[in-house]
Amino acid sequence: MAWLGLGALAAPTALAQASPFEYDLTNFIPTRIEYHSIGGQFEAYYYYDGRYWERWETDFPQAEQNFGKRLRELTAVVASRAPARRRLTDPDLGDSPFIFMSDVGYMRLSQAEIEALRNYLHNGGFLWVDDFWGDAEWRSLEAAMEEVLPGKRWTALPIEHPIFHTVFDIEEMPQIPARDFARWGTTEPPSQHRYPQGSMTTPSIRAYKDDDGRLMVIATHNTDIADGWERESYGEFYFENFSTKAYRVGINVIVYALTH
Amino acid sequence: MWFEWLFKYPRHAYEQGELAFAGEIGVLWWTVAIVLLALSVVFSRRLAQWSVLRRVPIHLLQLAAIAVILVLIAQPVLEVTRLAPGVNTVAVLVDSSASMGLPTSSDPEADRRTRLAVAKDLVPRVVTEATGGAKTALFHFGDHLARIESTAALEPHDGRSRLVDSLTDLATNYDEAALAAIVVLTDGAQNAGDSTELEALSAAGIPVHPIAIGPASVRGDVELLEFALPARASPDTEVSARLVIRHHDGGEARVRVLAGEAVLAAESVSLDPGTPVVTKDIAFATGSEGLKEITVELQPTAQDPLPGNNLRSRLLEVDRDRYRVLYLEGEPRWEFKFIRRAVAEDDDIDLVTWLRTTARKTYRQGTADPEELADGFPRSREVLYSYDLVIIGSLPATALGDEQHDWLAAFVAERGGSLLALAGRQALADGGWDVKPLAEALPVVLERRTGPDAPPSYAAGEYGVRPTEQGLRSVLGHLGGDPDNRSRNWETLPLLADYHQLGALKPGATTILEALEGVYDRRGTDIVVREGHPVPLLVTQVYGFGRSAVLATASTWRWRMRTPPDDPRHSVFWRQLIRHLAGASLSRQRLSVAVEGDSLDVRVGLKNQRFEPVEGTALTARITPPEGGAFEVDLSRVPGDGSFAETVPVSGPGVYRVDVDTTGSGTDASPLTTRADGLKALARVGTPNLEQFGATLNEPLLLRIAQATGGRVWREDDVAGLGDAIAFGGAGVQERQRLPLWNAPILYLLLVLLKGAEWSLRRYWGAI
Repeated sequence: MAWLGLGALAAPTALAQASPFEYDLTNFIPTRIEYHSIGGQFEAYYYYDGRYWERWETDFPQAEQNFGKRLRELTAVVASRAPARRRLTDPDLGDSPFIFMSDVGYMRLSQAEIEALRNYLHNGGFLWVDDFWGDAEWRSLEAAMEEVLPGKRWTALPIEHPIFHTVFDIEEMPQIPARDFARWGTTEPPSQHRYPQGSMTTPSIRAYKDDDGRLMVIATHNTDIADGWERESYGEFYFENFSTKAYRVGINVIVYALTH
Repeated sequence: MWFEWLFKYPRHAYEQGELAFAGEIGVLWWTVAIVLLALSVVFSRRLAQWSVLRRVPIHLLQLAAIAVILVLIAQPVLEVTRLAPGVNTVAVLVDSSASMGLPTSSDPEADRRTRLAVAKDLVPRVVTEATGGAKTALFHFGDHLARIESTAALEPHDGRSRLVDSLTDLATNYDEAALAAIVVLTDGAQNAGDSTELEALSAAGIPVHPIAIGPASVRGDVELLEFALPARASPDTEVSARLVIRHHDGGEARVRVLAGEAVLAAESVSLDPGTPVVTKDIAFATGSEGLKEITVELQPTAQDPLPGNNLRSRLLEVDRDRYRVLYLEGEPRWEFKFIRRAVAEDDDIDLVTWLRTTARKTYRQGTADPEELADGFPRSREVLYSYDLVIIGSLPATALGDEQHDWLAAFVAERGGSLLALAGRQALADGGWDVKPLAEALPVVLERRTGPDAPPSYAAGEYGVRPTEQGLRSVLGHLGGDPDNRSRNWETLPLLADYHQLGALKPGATTILEALEGVYDRRGTDIVVREGHPVPLLVTQVYGFGRSAVLATASTWRWRMRTPPDDPRHSVFWRQLIRHLAGASLSRQRLSVAVEGDSLDVRVGLKNQRFEPVEGTALTARITPPEGGAFEVDLSRVPGDGSFAETVPVSGPGVYRVDVDTTGSGTDASPLTTRADGLKALARVGTPNLEQFGATLNEPLLLRIAQATGGRVWREDDVAGLGDAIAFGGAGVQERQRLPLWNAPILYLLLVLLKGAEWSLRRYWGAI
């Protein structure tokens, strides 16, 4: 969720950095990537729900907690109840072959992060980027990833792609808005995002593929899948119209990442 | 020598003959006996005042002396059968193979004579002195047996030694006269024919007396005793050759593996003086497809007097084999993904996966068509049998029906397939596999932990990995890279993150890898295992016709994710493990060609899709000699096992190609062929420098020959007694003789000793 509001100044949530072996690696561990964003308030960070949030922690950890729980209930994936958070440069990043980045519209990666992410992806790691909207934010991500995997081209995944059919047969890419905007429609208002002059109406999955055609990075653009997980308990309307769709996409993506 | 002086006749005569008396035990003999006993009693009365302890020895000595005299009066004789003079022949056989041109001494500098020169010197002595009065016939052998009149022109030129065949040929086919014995002058080399087949030679009843020529070892020699290599390998993979090296003085040697001029691998091997035979495994890359002659060359650091035995060659057919692998997994997890990724790099492995994604949904990958695994598990025994390897992950046993469990067990035991069980929450005993038929096939006992507080067998934890001794010798213990750092390649792998506690290992199980739960050093991002309590990690065993393995982890994916992208170890491990297991599975069609001297033993095994023998078909083998001119041979059905075989004589050394077309119209319902191009194999007849291998004295074979035929092994410097051994050997035309023993010195010496002892005792005790 990338909603800016007013309220009392609060420090970002201090989550303990777990040591490499505090996690049970026999489980699937949703791992959120902590990154730097440029700009000041309303750009690199924002105020919502009583505290300031950095961009990277949007929807974290509630989205992953809910998602892990649903994974256990709905699939044979044994998911951890506690998500992890890591920087790209953490030496144990490889213990999480699946990583998730949210709200990347203002993201800037250091050279060390670029190299670490490049190695991670070449090793078979899988990156999902979510919750960024409009052409400007797309171009921002595109520029960052061009440094990570120079020469790679994004591919828009058609609905026939296996990622839409690993567990559930998804017939169209859902657009999941933040809960607060869901009441007015499915698209977040342009004012909530960076340079909102581009189109924000059509959700899509675009991907980087490796030389064998396997997906290395997927970007769910113009949609906020993780918010669908985070806000599942915020109301029947939201759950039925958005959370269920968000879980279907999430489960398909995770099973794809675990099988390709 | 002393035996014959004392007893008048040689030991062989006593071993073969019987003692008897020529004189009559009649009135005269009894009279003499009574008189002697009476005199003994009379003279003993003088000893009445002596104690019993003194009288008894004197009486015994007197009685013994009387017994000797009575024996002499009875005229003892030795009844023997011995060669009838003038009608028998002794065959003298000289080894003229190339090994007889080697030095006769272990120190060639001390004695430069060749073994053949020693044999030539010995022949006149054997002919004139050691034939027991029989005539002699002279022969030589190498690759063939031949009659000669003299050894003068004999040269050590024959490239092979056919010792046993030559002896058998001579013993069974010589018909010019009665054959009394065969004396063979040889170093015992036997490199053609079968040295274990001594029955025919023994049945001929002709004693063979080998005269052993040559040293037990050659100083400074390093010999490549064996070079074992698979006949077939896939392109661009690593294959391991096993070398057995025999050395005399220790030191070091450089081992090179060559394909023509190209060096495929080179390593140093240390030769411990206390271990005269060393086994060494050396891995090399197979490269591109094609037939290759792989040569292993030893280069000792010191001077080698027999450099010809430092080279051996084997044929390697580098060709693509397709391995069909079925992976059943009950839980989407990282191990599944990274096994698939590792195998995807290998074009020779067709990996078909069946993954349970939810309680009621499955996900298939790698299937050849929409029908494959459409019902989940293979729908018939034949379909299951089409795979070479089945991998079972974290899948509860309840996922399969009873019939499917029976198929799986039969897949290993009867079809000869391979099975790999992985660790996991629902794997092994925790998954209920302990009560299924497959449990019998696995190399470990599956023990279920019972009780509400019993911890699961599978749990997270930090484990290092190291190969066992067997693992280091196996191709599974190699992770590529520097062969001198094989152990380090394992030690520096990222730690495993889980372990599945295994039950006891079964008696036939082999542990390839061990996991170490213990103390580690963390050096930056590297974690180096220092020490730890070892527990079995990768265990294999042969079961029935197949092979099974258990890998007690599901976190090898960390070897991929926590190493640099160009680190090949995870991929190498999985590709080699799958290739090793899948490659060990039996094929429905097998062609083997063994070289037996100048013949090819061609054998074809043919089974249908249920791996039952194919009935009602005929097979023809096409043989292509090295010089061309292919010809065809009909193969005969071998009763009982459904295979076809034929022994095909060939004309000379070189590489022969054998093709068998199995696409013919079999009457069996199943298609006959799995390979569109039929079966093919290559075989090399003849080995260069063959005579320089095993060039030391082969005394064990000579002893076996002598024992099997009733002969004896003689040394080149001691053939005295050979004539008597032949004379009393029992073969040839024999006559019965009674050899008088009355004048044998032993009897008179015994008499003197007995009376001398009596006299000495009497004098000592003051009776004289």
